[in-house]
Amino acid sequence: MDLKHSGFPVPSDYFGVLWALSGIKDLLILEHGSTGTCNYNAFNYMIMNRQSPKGKLFTSGMDEDDVVMGRDEKIKEAIFELDRKYHPKVIALVATGVTSVIGLDLQGIIEEVQSTTEARLLSYPGGGFAGDYNLGIKEVFRSLVNNIAEETIAEETISENTAKESDIGVKNAGKKTVAEGIAKKSAEANACTVNIIGPTIDSFNVVSDLAELERMLDLIGVRVNTVFTCNTSVNKIKNLASASLNLVTRDIGLEAAEILKERFGTPYYYGLPFGVHGSVQWLNDVAGMLGLVLERRVLKAEVERYGFSILELVNFLQNFDHLRAMISCPYDYSLGLAGMMREEWGIDPSLVVLPTRPKRPDNMAKLGMLNPGRLLIEPDSSTLDEAISSIDPQIIFGNSYDLKMAGNVPIKIHAAFPAFDHVYRYDGTPFVGFRGHAYLTQTIINLLNQNPEVFRN
Amino acid sequence: MTPKNPDIKKRCINLSELPEDGLLEATAHAKYPGQHCSFRAVAGTVPLIKNSYALLLGPAICLYNAKLSMNMRSLTSDPRPNNLLFVNYSQDDIIFGFREKVREAILQADQEYHPEVLFLITSCLQEIVGEDFDACIDEIRPHVKAKLLIIHTENFTHEGAAPGVENMFKSLFELMKPQPLVDKTVNILGLWTSTARKTELARLLVGKGIVIKNVIPSYCTPSELQAAPGVQLNIVLDQYGLPLARMMKERFGTQYIYARKPFLPDSLEKWYLEIAGALDVDLSVEIADLKKKTEDQITRARPVLGGKTCSVSGISGRPFDLARLLVRLGVEPKVMLLQTVLPEDRPDMQALLSDGIDPIVFRGDNSLQNEELLAELSPDISVGAFERAALAGMGIKPVILSTSNYLLGFESTIEVLRLLLEKPAGLDALMYKEKILVAGEC
Repeated sequence: MDLKHSGFPVPSDYFGVLWALSGIKDLLILEHGSTGTCNYNAFNYMIMNRQSPKGKLFTSGMDEDDVVMGRDEKIKEAIFELDRKYHPKVIALVATGVTSVIGLDLQGIIEEVQSTTEARLLSYPGGGFAGDYNLGIKEVFRSLVNNIAEETIAEETISENTAKESDIGVKNAGKKTVAEGIAKKSAEANACTVNIIGPTIDSFNVVSDLAELERMLDLIGVRVNTVFTCNTSVNKIKNLASASLNLVTRDIGLEAAEILKERFGTPYYYGLPFGVHGSVQWLNDVAGMLGLVLERRVLKAEVERYGFSILELVNFLQNFDHLRAMISCPYDYSLGLAGMMREEWGIDPSLVVLPTRPKRPDNMAKLGMLNPGRLLIEPDSSTLDEAISSIDPQIIFGNSYDLKMAGNVPIKIHAAFPAFDHVYRYDGTPFVGFRGHAYLTQTIINLLNQNPEVFRN
Repeated sequence: MTPKNPDIKKRCINLSELPEDGLLEATAHAKYPGQHCSFRAVAGTVPLIKNSYALLLGPAICLYNAKLSMNMRSLTSDPRPNNLLFVNYSQDDIIFGFREKVREAILQADQEYHPEVLFLITSCLQEIVGEDFDACIDEIRPHVKAKLLIIHTENFTHEGAAPGVENMFKSLFELMKPQPLVDKTVNILGLWTSTARKTELARLLVGKGIVIKNVIPSYCTPSELQAAPGVQLNIVLDQYGLPLARMMKERFGTQYIYARKPFLPDSLEKWYLEIAGALDVDLSVEIADLKKKTEDQITRARPVLGGKTCSVSGISGRPFDLARLLVRLGVEPKVMLLQTVLPEDRPDMQALLSDGIDPIVFRGDNSLQNEELLAELSPDISVGAFERAALAGMGIKPVILSTSNYLLGFESTIEVLRLLLEKPAGLDALMYKEKILVAGEC
């Protein structure tokens, strides 16, 4: 049994639900449980870039009588209070472990009180027993695209989006968008808009990565309609169909993208741009799907500015091709970093660790093509510890626990959740895109220089 | 000043109107963040016991949060040893029983980590499911070397953390054995820091030949706790340690004095004299000297602080005695944001009222309601724990007393004065930024 002395207990689906809901404006979260659970959350949001759920998350403050008698007055009173006082568009009722065990029917409560509230009520009954946090995020994504997204968009959003329309670097090849004719009103307003699907408030480095994705899209004249769900609103979710393309940044967003494709015909593209090769491909692919072209002069300017090779930053006595690197990140980041390491730096990752098994069969094949020396999926603490000891890497990309466990590894780079000892608020440290390539290459060189013994094979 | 917002106004009472039971009305049905739970408090405390490990037995929600709290603590000036182990209470365990998993985990923890004491900390779920957890532990006791101590921490039976923390103290009683009484020795109960033996109280007592045997729960070993009943006096600094002191008196005859932390010089003098009297030592010269120094500091601080207003919240010690200190400084406490009022607070409350001060008393466990109230009352200073950015946005100077919480005696009051007079590093920049943000909203 892994008692998690050096590792960490994986957050449950309950957390995934909270985190996936927390980036949505006009939506309030009401959890049904004891106040201690909510108070703990006020604390744990801090480890995600010093965020706070204040004004977003509330608790009903369940007590012994509620547990014994199965009473639901407290949650009803709390619903009415939130509805009356803050006028949210949606109130999400979230079960905690206690609610699940006593079997309180949140959906039944919704059916009872929905007609008396202005806010739309949604329920998330898992209570932390369904699985890990990825399941909670997927549950929220599924629920929102099924229940909130609409085919016809609100006028207020059309005017809001039109006002923000970009005119930089656009070269429309005159192709029709795939979504055209399915969400007519939206297609007229948002021919060159995309949704980004996947990032939630727990996503590592999300501020910088999103800034870079938006910047890159701007190079081809594409604007981001919304980021589902870390920076969105109920209205924006209603209007997901107004975008011409959905860009899925991590595997747990795929199901939502499939549903949106089925409901509204919106195509999707899955993948993150890592390294120069990856960024060019990503941008060309996205442009192609939207009937746009990435201009050569734009690409040249990008590569001139951000495409410097690692070879341009070392001297001929600084050998680095012998370095052993470990990557311990969720699938999409692991795939991207491993690819970049191999293609841009010439280093084959010696160890890749995935915290959860990718759900799509072809994902494993893609990772396998990058030839990682060793691949561990959901390892327990002792297996991971043994792997680090035997491989003895000089470089590790991972979460705070991995970095602590790898105490003797000279080059440690935070690259995954949880990152309780790392802040990433500034938007100029991307891992993805052209600027991500530049930032990571510069960072690795600086760290190698600070640990010159690693050059000595 | 009475708040205009009707939602807030109806939940405000003046101190003079506080009901006999001291209960404060909840300020909202939808709460945030609410009070923290026993599980969290206990998980943060048991690492203080040396040569121990703790098995936290709960759902993934509680375990994940407990580990994070420990990790965040590791980044501070007061880190706690990493002695937490985790056993996830899954849905299958609820249906099919948790006993075997717990048994396996105990055996593994005993064999791999060799603790003298293994704490077994339950969460809400065990109590709701109703599996006879204690019987399960009794079965396994003979098979492990570690002493197994169970701490129940269900949160749904009580909104605050008090019962669980009291259970933690009471669990230590299991380690204690009858001892011959050793004169001039004390235990201090209810001080939670590695620097406990450096406090003014400890220094003064040691200077008079008193031996501090244990500071409970701060870094005592199980064998030291075993010998704890042999002291002349238990000095109990907070309400959480009181049940343990009572049990020790009843079982072992260990005398105790309940002496919550005061702030006002007169209160400190009385506090010290009572402790000194119980130990039959003379601290009068030292107390007079420290009191004079503190009074001098107050005299110097009055011209700077006089005429200001404040809110008071999140205090370690006697909150109404702190309010009296603020009044001495010329600072008017407009509101006291409190979780609970204890019966032993009554004399301080009465003294405050006798001084003609009758602040609003407001239950302080809901941030948004607190902020609505403070926005209306607009005090100059917020004394106690509160969110710095929110206060800065309202133009209120936050004074967080965490460094004074680690001190005991006049030194703690002098630290409070320093914190009131000085601006925390970075505060000017924070207030400047918040001012721009607020102006931008208009």
